[in-house]
Amino acid sequence: MIACVLLPRFELTVAAGDREELLRMPAALAPEPGREQRVGEASPAAEAFGVRAGTPLGEALARCPSLTLVPPDPAGVADRWERLLVRLEAIGAAVEPERPGLACFAVRGLLRLHGGSLEHVLGAARHALRQPARLGAGPSRFCALAAASRARVRRPEVVAGGEAEAAAYLAPLPVALLRGRRETAQLPEPLARLGIETLGALAALPTAAVADRFGAAGLLARELACGRDGRLAPRRPPERLAEELELPEALSGVQLDHALRLLVDRLLARRERRGRTLRTVVLSAALVEGGTWREQVPFREALADPLRMRLALAQRLALLPAPAERLRLAVERFGPHASDQRSLLDEADDVRRARLREAVRQARAAAGPDAALRVLAVEAESRVPERRVVLTPFE
Amino acid sequence: MSGARTHRLARPRRARVEARPADGRPLAVDGRAVDAVRESWLVEDRWWNGSPVRRRYWEVVTTCGRNLVVFHDLRGGGWFAQR
Repeated sequence: MIACVLLPRFELTVAAGDREELLRMPAALAPEPGREQRVGEASPAAEAFGVRAGTPLGEALARCPSLTLVPPDPAGVADRWERLLVRLEAIGAAVEPERPGLACFAVRGLLRLHGGSLEHVLGAARHALRQPARLGAGPSRFCALAAASRARVRRPEVVAGGEAEAAAYLAPLPVALLRGRRETAQLPEPLARLGIETLGALAALPTAAVADRFGAAGLLARELACGRDGRLAPRRPPERLAEELELPEALSGVQLDHALRLLVDRLLARRERRGRTLRTVVLSAALVEGGTWREQVPFREALADPLRMRLALAQRLALLPAPAERLRLAVERFGPHASDQRSLLDEADDVRRARLREAVRQARAAAGPDAALRVLAVEAESRVPERRVVLTPFE
Repeated sequence: MSGARTHRLARPRRARVEARPADGRPLAVDGRAVDAVRESWLVEDRWWNGSPVRRRYWEVVTTCGRNLVVFHDLRGGGWFAQR
């Protein structure tokens, strides 16, 4: 039995903060700066105008001219969601987060811990969350999600039985539920255009026809509609290690690089790191003009070298859409211990040089002797501009 | 590398400049009227060898908004643009 915790419009709720009136009027999350111009989660009033998460911004404003755009708060969402996951894990649940606002966990291992019944487990989960959430349970993840989306805040919905019962429960439900899964989120509209309104109608289609029309996503959707789903893949609870810097005045450019240097040094100096390298970090900032910015940075190889970390992070920091008033660097995943030594002879450099020479040779073979040149400063301080630098063959 | 040559960057290229006879101030560059002169400076270099350089540089803004650097070769004559 799988339990599902659903917090509808989680990202919008977090971004709106204490402006709860926003959720009662047509509102949607504005596109994140520098990303695709599509709105995020929409309030029920905005959905009544046909605005949904993923609607292009222009279309959303055309459909609902009074739409209020709420600046997204990706860092706040990640923090809040992490807190909720930790609370669920505190009752012993091995949680698989699907996206912020939607998580599943297996009930079986928790029954003895929490009174021996499903109701007690769901009650413990609700109590641990300390905020209204819809809870559902079913034989598969998707069935549990469907149950949670039909549940009320104080009354969980439970689908007992196995695959057949799940299929029977799902049959009358709309295909729009497929939006809950990342892999099948794009399917409800084309399915509806073809007149397939319910999951039962989808399950009744021949497998080959679904595969021909919708490919792998369609096959997965049909499996889900038939009450089957993949195994849960619970996350490994992360260690929380973060450093934050309040910037006295909104910084950008070189000063921000100094702040980054300080953050990296502080993070690497933390005792909790215990000599381990960092595999993935999250760089986030609170922006002066409201909202936050968040960028996950997986390193090409696990690092504990501040210089290389700064080189990788500075490129991402350049994407900051506005001056920041607070900068934060958090470890998302650790790598192995930094005691992994390189060979005494730095062969990687030799390999790299050999590859570079080969690339230059090939470029020259294809485009002539002038194909690979480098800029060489010969008289950098000369007052005559044409004497300062020359282009010379790359050696 | 055989066949490859060394290229100088920022080579001067000949420009069509109308200048005020009194002080040499550019009035038009390549057919575009000069809106403002931002700066002017004199470069005298290499006077110690056989190929001395004497140039009067002008940094100008044309009416179309382009920022150009031109110079008048005070030895050989002629106007040149240079980046």
